[in-house]
Amino acid sequence: MKRVYQTAGLCFVGLSAFVVWESWTLEYYTNLGPGPGFFPLWLGVVMGALSLAWFVQVSGRKGGPDDVAILPERAGILRILSTLAALAAMAGLMNLFGFQLAMFLLLVFLLKVLGRQALWVTLVVALLGSVGVYHLFGAYLDVPLPAAAVKLLANLGL
Amino acid sequence: MDAIQNLLMGFAVALTPQNLLFAFLGSVLGTVIGVLPGIGPVAGVAMLIPLTFQMNPTGAIIMLTALFYGTQYGGTITSVLLNVPGEAASAITCIEGYEMAKQGRGGAALAIAAIGSFVGGTIATFALVLAAGPLTRMALEFGPVEFFALIVLGLSLLMGLAGKSMIKALMMGIFGLLLAMVGMDPVRGLPRFTFGRMELMDGIGFVPVIMGLFGLAEILGNAEKQFGQVFAAKMSSLIPTPKDIRDSIGPILRGSAIGTLLGLVPGMTGSASSFLSYIAERKVSNHPERFGTGLIEGVAGPETANNAHANGALIPLFTLGIPASPTVAVIMGAFMMHGLIPGPFLFKEHPDVAWGTIASFYVGNVILLILNLPLVGIWVKILKIPYGLLFGIILAFMVVGAYSVSNSAFDVLVMTLFGLIGYLLRKLDFPLAPVVLTLILGPLMERSLRTSLEMSQGDMGIFLESPIAIVLLALAAFFLIAPAFRFFRRGKGALSGDEEA
Repeated sequence: MKRVYQTAGLCFVGLSAFVVWESWTLEYYTNLGPGPGFFPLWLGVVMGALSLAWFVQVSGRKGGPDDVAILPERAGILRILSTLAALAAMAGLMNLFGFQLAMFLLLVFLLKVLGRQALWVTLVVALLGSVGVYHLFGAYLDVPLPAAAVKLLANLGL
Repeated sequence: MDAIQNLLMGFAVALTPQNLLFAFLGSVLGTVIGVLPGIGPVAGVAMLIPLTFQMNPTGAIIMLTALFYGTQYGGTITSVLLNVPGEAASAITCIEGYEMAKQGRGGAALAIAAIGSFVGGTIATFALVLAAGPLTRMALEFGPVEFFALIVLGLSLLMGLAGKSMIKALMMGIFGLLLAMVGMDPVRGLPRFTFGRMELMDGIGFVPVIMGLFGLAEILGNAEKQFGQVFAAKMSSLIPTPKDIRDSIGPILRGSAIGTLLGLVPGMTGSASSFLSYIAERKVSNHPERFGTGLIEGVAGPETANNAHANGALIPLFTLGIPASPTVAVIMGAFMMHGLIPGPFLFKEHPDVAWGTIASFYVGNVILLILNLPLVGIWVKILKIPYGLLFGIILAFMVVGAYSVSNSAFDVLVMTLFGLIGYLLRKLDFPLAPVVLTLILGPLMERSLRTSLEMSQGDMGIFLESPIAIVLLALAAFFLIAPAFRFFRRGKGALSGDEEA
């Protein structure tokens, strides 16, 4: 498991290098004082130094992190990835299908497939969470949720 | 006397029917969030911020602060009845509280905890009333140099106490600052790290980031295991015996003092206060060997301390404009989203908001006492909702919350990405509290640093010309270096921890 920590350390080193590189393209100093690149450049440098120090620390460590089981079981990984994929799909589809349909599908997936709830419970909660929330937020809280961009769905009131 | 007059003016604001309703809603939601395992106060407050956009600023802040200290009340219920802390600050309560519940005295433990929380919250609010005048007068003397030094001190205290590794805490602090760099440069107004995307011009929204790091990451952590746990708790009579009340008076007073004082210190968490209170009770007890067998002192002290801490932690925010904990940082973000800057100028420019909110703390604590004593059975019933159902509902709320910050599906993606990042960082044992504080304080920190350097034409010596800044920076250096010495490290493990509040 030491490799997991080392990989994470290298990711942070990579992030720091990217920040330093990007900051380099910004103005470091102006006639009036520090420019937009000043603060991020130094942050990138310090982050890089700390990441390297941590990388060396975890590389030289005996026991400790090696003994910790970090990765969950296969079923757990699947549930986590499914949840993330469902949320990403929701983000991608909510403007196209409209909030109501996208949220209905998201809730059905989360409750029925991942949460293993009864079908009637799933449908009731999904309807309330999609159609109900859309109208509640739009009518009472003045928070407009997106309507469908697809004409056919928009004509159906979604 | 000014303070009393101002407080009375605050009550006139807090006691309007509309603001009473907001305090009530915040208290109810806070209790629910405190009861539910898997969603903490940081994500809870962040999630509700978008719903307050249409509200007036006073009502919005009253609701969000009530939610914050309401979680401390709610967290107790699961600690006592189920041995599962709803909030990290209530974890120590499990030791005595659950033992009491097993002996059929859970109701008395909850009653004493609610009364202690009320007393602790009220005393800490009174401390805020007293401190507001002198501290704001002092803060008004601060220029950008002193303000920068103050932020550095606050962050160094937080990083010195967060987690077990100083390197990791510093890395997370800088990670938050780097996230704060995205968007328009606060001094020149030039875009940075936006990669040409319009959505990033205003920076990465702190609401989706925090919901991801704290809320979604927690849900993903729970998703590792099969869902389906349903808790069943048994309640007993809520009326404590006269002996319970006698034994609780001392712990409640000591817990109030510990929580209020530690709440002032950035980086000190609610669980540090409750832990120290528990230790203090064992030390002063005539029968320390009986701790662990269900002593009311071990519930009264810590539960008072964590609520006093929650209210005490608002003192630096209101007087100096510096948040002392992640949830308070989120509340600071809510202030800013409503066009208000917490700190000394708030009392000058918006006394109705400042004093109205402070007065609402008293009101909120009374509401919470009522909600938590006779209605405790209702909160216990919430625990019977299967997690497989609950997690879907929470995720749906998160999507709506993230979207409605700026009506953008991009923010839902940001939340999803930071959920994954938060999950991985938790797995690697990185503390997340520094990310929140630096994310919110980053722009203020950069602005004060750059304004200071513009004043001195780039000469760093300006930070050594102000005696206040010298003292603050010296203290910051001390708190960063101190953990390197074994002496200071001893016992730190107990005080630290990356918990919320």
